Amino acid sequence: MIQLLANGIVAGSAFALVGLGFALVYNTTKFFHFAHGALYTLGAYLALFFWQHLGWPPLPSGLLAVLLTGAVGWLFGRFVFQSLRWRQAGPLICLLASLGTMIALQNLIALLAGEESRTLRRAAVIEGFDLLGARITQVQAVIALVCAGLYAGTWWAISYTRMGRSLRAVANDVDLATVVGVNTDRAILLTFVAGAGLAAVAGILVGCDTDLTPAMGFQALLMGVVAVVCGGLKTIVGAAVGGLFIGIVQSFGVAYMPTQWKDAIVFTVLILFLIFRPLGILGSPLHRAAK
Amino acid sequence: MKQPEVRSQKSEESQPMLRCEGLNKCFDGTRALRDVRLAFPSSGIVAIIGPNGAGKTTLLNVLTGFLRPDTGRFFLGEWELTRVAPHRIARLGIARTFQDLRLITLVPVLENVMLARPNQMGERLWHALFRFGLAAQEARNREHAIRWLQFVGLDQQAHEPAGELSYGQQKLLTLACCLAAEARILLLDEPVAGVHPNMTEKILGLLRELRGMGKLVVFVEHDMTAVRQVADQVVVMDEGRIIAHGQPKEVLERPEIMEAYVG
Amino acid sequence: MDYVVHILILVATYMVLAMSLDLLAGSTGLLSISHAAFCGLGAYTSALLATCFGVPFFIGLLAGMAVAALISFIVSLPSLRLHDDYFVIATFGFQMILFSIFNNWIGLTRGPLGIPGIPQPILFGWHVSSRLDFLILGAALAGFAYFVVHRIISAPFGRVLHAIREDEVFAKALGKNTLYFKVTAFAVSAALAASAGSLYAHYITYIDPTSFTVIESILIISMVIIGGAGSTWGPLVGAAVLVVLPEALRFVGLPSGVAANLRQIIYGSLLVIMMMFRPCGLVGKYGFSK
Repeated sequence: MIQLLANGIVAGSAFALVGLGFALVYNTTKFFHFAHGALYTLGAYLALFFWQHLGWPPLPSGLLAVLLTGAVGWLFGRFVFQSLRWRQAGPLICLLASLGTMIALQNLIALLAGEESRTLRRAAVIEGFDLLGARITQVQAVIALVCAGLYAGTWWAISYTRMGRSLRAVANDVDLATVVGVNTDRAILLTFVAGAGLAAVAGILVGCDTDLTPAMGFQALLMGVVAVVCGGLKTIVGAAVGGLFIGIVQSFGVAYMPTQWKDAIVFTVLILFLIFRPLGILGSPLHRAAK
Repeated sequence: MKQPEVRSQKSEESQPMLRCEGLNKCFDGTRALRDVRLAFPSSGIVAIIGPNGAGKTTLLNVLTGFLRPDTGRFFLGEWELTRVAPHRIARLGIARTFQDLRLITLVPVLENVMLARPNQMGERLWHALFRFGLAAQEARNREHAIRWLQFVGLDQQAHEPAGELSYGQQKLLTLACCLAAEARILLLDEPVAGVHPNMTEKILGLLRELRGMGKLVVFVEHDMTAVRQVADQVVVMDEGRIIAHGQPKEVLERPEIMEAYVG
Repeated sequence: MDYVVHILILVATYMVLAMSLDLLAGSTGLLSISHAAFCGLGAYTSALLATCFGVPFFIGLLAGMAVAALISFIVSLPSLRLHDDYFVIATFGFQMILFSIFNNWIGLTRGPLGIPGIPQPILFGWHVSSRLDFLILGAALAGFAYFVVHRIISAPFGRVLHAIREDEVFAKALGKNTLYFKVTAFAVSAALAASAGSLYAHYITYIDPTSFTVIESILIISMVIIGGAGSTWGPLVGAAVLVVLPEALRFVGLPSGVAANLRQIIYGSLLVIMMMFRPCGLVGKYGFSK
């Protein structure tokens, strides 16, 4: 039981991290940034490249991968999103552009790195240690801790820094924020960069535990998106709650049903939430009431 | 001005009346509506005035089902409408316009008005695919639509895209849509705001004609002259509360009302 | 020559998929990322009925369409009640899990092994066997889809769909039950996608889950957008362009894996470029403004 819970929390914290980046971008720009999934994949593959192909030590490889992915996120925000926004494009156009970016980027990775699965694991699976009655490997512990740390850090930054306040202002009402003097362009670019960085970290961490394939982005996206919906689309904390919740549900579900069904379990939870608790566990509904 | 044929109206007493009680609505900490209680007459022209942020548009949104009140209820006659979806309320004969003009701008004026026609069997999937009798109904709807356009004076522009009309003409169009929807109660959000004085006269004239047809027109406005000219009753709102309700001559002379408005 | 006919059959199939998606995305303004999943539903239903129970093609086709329409309600009703954004997410989730079901419910679908030996259709005595026969069948299906979509769009039903796309609040204020229209449009769109799946299954006589992935769904979206959403010719042009052009890559002599990646890079980039510079697509007039 505890083991299932532990597994669920580890997996869930990764989902939550993906969801966090996705929610950050959604809250400030009001569109679904599907390319987020490709950035997740990019981070993992870049780390793989630096570490295994160039032979650099693991930590700098990871950091550089995160930074580069953040830069790619910035490129999208600056050149694609900004120009769409200046033309008053609606969220659907941005979503489609993001979708196109996802496909192009994912296939670029596949072209350069090949379709076969790779791994960031160096050695055979380590024994792991006992914690409160559950068996956790080093890697899993690292995943959970790093995710929690990043989450706390992001939450702190949003709540207490000036930039964080700007982000919240933009999330609330972007026109109003511009009027009161917030540099909305910079705030939005920051979310793209931060979102990309978070996606990259999640990708690298998960890649340490499981395999890398070019298509892993879609999986991550599914989990992240469902986490955010279940947690409450408009809150940042919601992604954390939602992610952990999904992780735990999936862990328990897989214990009683064959592993192939884990995606179906997640989707069923999504549909149930949409039917019975559309506000998510925490959040408020997306509402654009008539003015 | 030619008037479309008017359905036989029941006697005034038997028309269901719109009323609300105890309406409260809070947004992010601001109380937009405080314990609003109103009873509208079954026909006539009622103006709702008040400073910005008084809750006028919020009240309109609640009465048309676009916003759910936190507490309180409202009725049309005996039917409680508090949790009813906006499209159902519209079908009960309550039509509305919006402060930011809502229209289908890419499509001709006539299409907008035909969209408004109720009970179109062509809007059911079966009848869209198997069109027995559809052409005849469309023709009838087109006639009705054109007559309402003539009523508001837009029949010359029937085939222009709605987006190419002037602002004032677009306001006339939204009015025509409400009428084509066979509404008995019209809730208009700032029908003459930002409009040329000639057009204002025209719109006010139309409102008087609607009153003559036995309809109830409730409009939100800032233009006091317009209010004085046509309103039978005036409702004054401030900070979500109703602070006065009565005849314009009586209400608008009260110094405290003018102060609340201007001050 | 055989090759050209084969391409034309694929074009016809994708035209059905693009037209049906356009009904939803182009005319109603609702994006669905699950079109390939519904296509797969039609394909698998048809294939299983034919291989396990010997059900004739026409019945299998109708059954597939019915299954798709019914299942579409599971996706549309909970999500559209709330907001269109939830709908996009729900279709995405649905696509992912349906692929997972196709791939993992070995007992039903034989998973990655796929379903071989799907019999060629026999329609009222006509044995559809040669490529030319399939082209005729494909063209007929495309014609049927065009007829259905066009009927819907040109009727008052379509007027309301366009109103929903432009300003749903206005439509509601005029008494239109917008939920009914959206759910119905989605069901019709799903059913037509399923019909394309049935045709595909009986043409190739073998199906496996890799034909019905989220990548396929995005390809169909690209066809609609690049061709021109919300227009009569847009989906047709988009389907033709995005089927025919990548075939040119075949002749460049690249290994097939690389060609597949390159093809997707091209249409992914095309999607981005179109959105940035010409959102109304090649021949469309509607640019998703707002």
